[in-house]
Amino acid sequence: MQILRALGLATAGAVLLTTAACGGGDDLEDAGSSPSADGGQGTVVVGGQNFTESQIMAAIYQALLEDAGYQVQTKLVTTRDVYLPELSKGNVDIVPDYLAGITDFLNTQANGPDADLVSSNDPEKTLAALEPLAEDQGISILPPSDATDQNAFFVTQEFADQNDLTTLSDLAALGQPIKLGAPPDCQGRADCEGGLTKVYGLDITEIVPLDFASAQVKDAVKNGEVQLGETGTTDGTLQDLGLVLLEDDKGIQPAQNLTPAVNSDFLAENPDLEDTFNQLSDALTTEDLAAMNVQVDLERKKPADVAQQFLEDKGLL
Amino acid sequence: MALVDGVAQCYVDNDWICGRYWTDYRPELTDATVEHLWITVVSVVAGLVVAVPLALLARRNATVESAVVGATTIIYTIPSLALFSLLLPLTGLSPTTVIIGLGLYSLTILVRNVLAGLQGVPDEIREAARGIGYSPTQLLLRVELPLALPVIVAGLRIATVSTVALATIGSIVSYGGLGNLLLLAVGNQFKAQIFAASVLCVALAGVLDLALVVLQQLLTPWTRHAR
Repeated sequence: MQILRALGLATAGAVLLTTAACGGGDDLEDAGSSPSADGGQGTVVVGGQNFTESQIMAAIYQALLEDAGYQVQTKLVTTRDVYLPELSKGNVDIVPDYLAGITDFLNTQANGPDADLVSSNDPEKTLAALEPLAEDQGISILPPSDATDQNAFFVTQEFADQNDLTTLSDLAALGQPIKLGAPPDCQGRADCEGGLTKVYGLDITEIVPLDFASAQVKDAVKNGEVQLGETGTTDGTLQDLGLVLLEDDKGIQPAQNLTPAVNSDFLAENPDLEDTFNQLSDALTTEDLAAMNVQVDLERKKPADVAQQFLEDKGLL
Repeated sequence: MALVDGVAQCYVDNDWICGRYWTDYRPELTDATVEHLWITVVSVVAGLVVAVPLALLARRNATVESAVVGATTIIYTIPSLALFSLLLPLTGLSPTTVIIGLGLYSLTILVRNVLAGLQGVPDEIREAARGIGYSPTQLLLRVELPLALPVIVAGLRIATVSTVALATIGSIVSYGGLGNLLLLAVGNQFKAQIFAASVLCVALAGVLDLALVVLQQLLTPWTRHAR
């Protein structure tokens, strides 16, 4: 059965490949970097994932690269395991990635699914662990931005004001029993219920299953059904809803700083880009990301327009 | 919620039907529809180009027939996620990945229908054609394929409509046509975009189906007179 399937797939695939290549589209094989043979700066493929923030970051990268004279093609895919091998091979040239996310991925890829975590709350240490892993895959990591998209926990502004809360430690010091609104897999996780109880000493009596960053979890906190809800640090809707994040002062969240990951050969051929992206990383803040996410997710602006505006505001174009 | 002035009300309310969306996102919708169309057409044409010789091979004897029909059916059972993942290392983030996948899926329907169409040609007609001196090639091109055409086109119609729906999966590798818009919109609950992309998918399937019906009428005028 296995052999039959493989055989059938291989033969039919080979035939189809030929026919598709003859009859197919206009841009089958022009992907990937081609150094400036035609006098221009050549083409760049920006990769990324198919969700709002990644889409905005890809649009920012595209605008910066076009401004620098490159022809840019953006390819957004569903998951990291689709684009990272392509980045490694040079079919994708640059990706806006997340520090701990790419570190964990490359670590498991190199050392197996049971490998010890090398990412941590510390961006410096995480970067130090990431660099050799990335280098082995032909990927260069540019300096991470301070902007970070981590999981985070929020309470109502009112509750925070009454009890003078700014951090999760403050909340723990209150000694109140807490109901937490979070996805079911929160139970026991070091960056969720596990960390909140073991590291902070929170008394979590119940996890009410509510989706991450959903309208439901925000309503539940507002209505007092739960005291604490889970969302991301780049959630720009909280302030308008009268909600506020509590700082992760003991660092249970891995460092998910926005980090450009570049194909090493491409970077070697285009060394000037390092400056361009370092300026971006310096300018970008978590608040910027939150504000841009709101513009796309609620005001339904196009990521390209939001990216353009951001770059102009920061004087990067 | 304090939103910036000038944001269309149907965006704020996240309505399914939002006229503003259709104008604001016209270029995106057009590009996605065009991509969806050509990926679908190329996939089905490629599938047909492979299906005809496979069907000709299959009709030689029963063993070959069950092998070919079996193999193309098994392909259909491979989950699309897995199939694209298998192709990815070979063809990368390119339309080719999607076209091979969709073309392979279309084989299940096309091989069976081409085969059934050819087998449906009455033996006495074949006999008569040979009797007036047709070579095997002439027999195939002038007698068998034209007579099999209605059944083949019926298969093409099913394959095309199912390929329009399946093509959205190409968004895994960023070549999903309207699927790219759908995936993004599901992610950030953009109802107007989910609605528009779905409507365009259905419309595309309808238009292509109609085009094939018209094509068949033009190619087989005798089926109209026969009634």
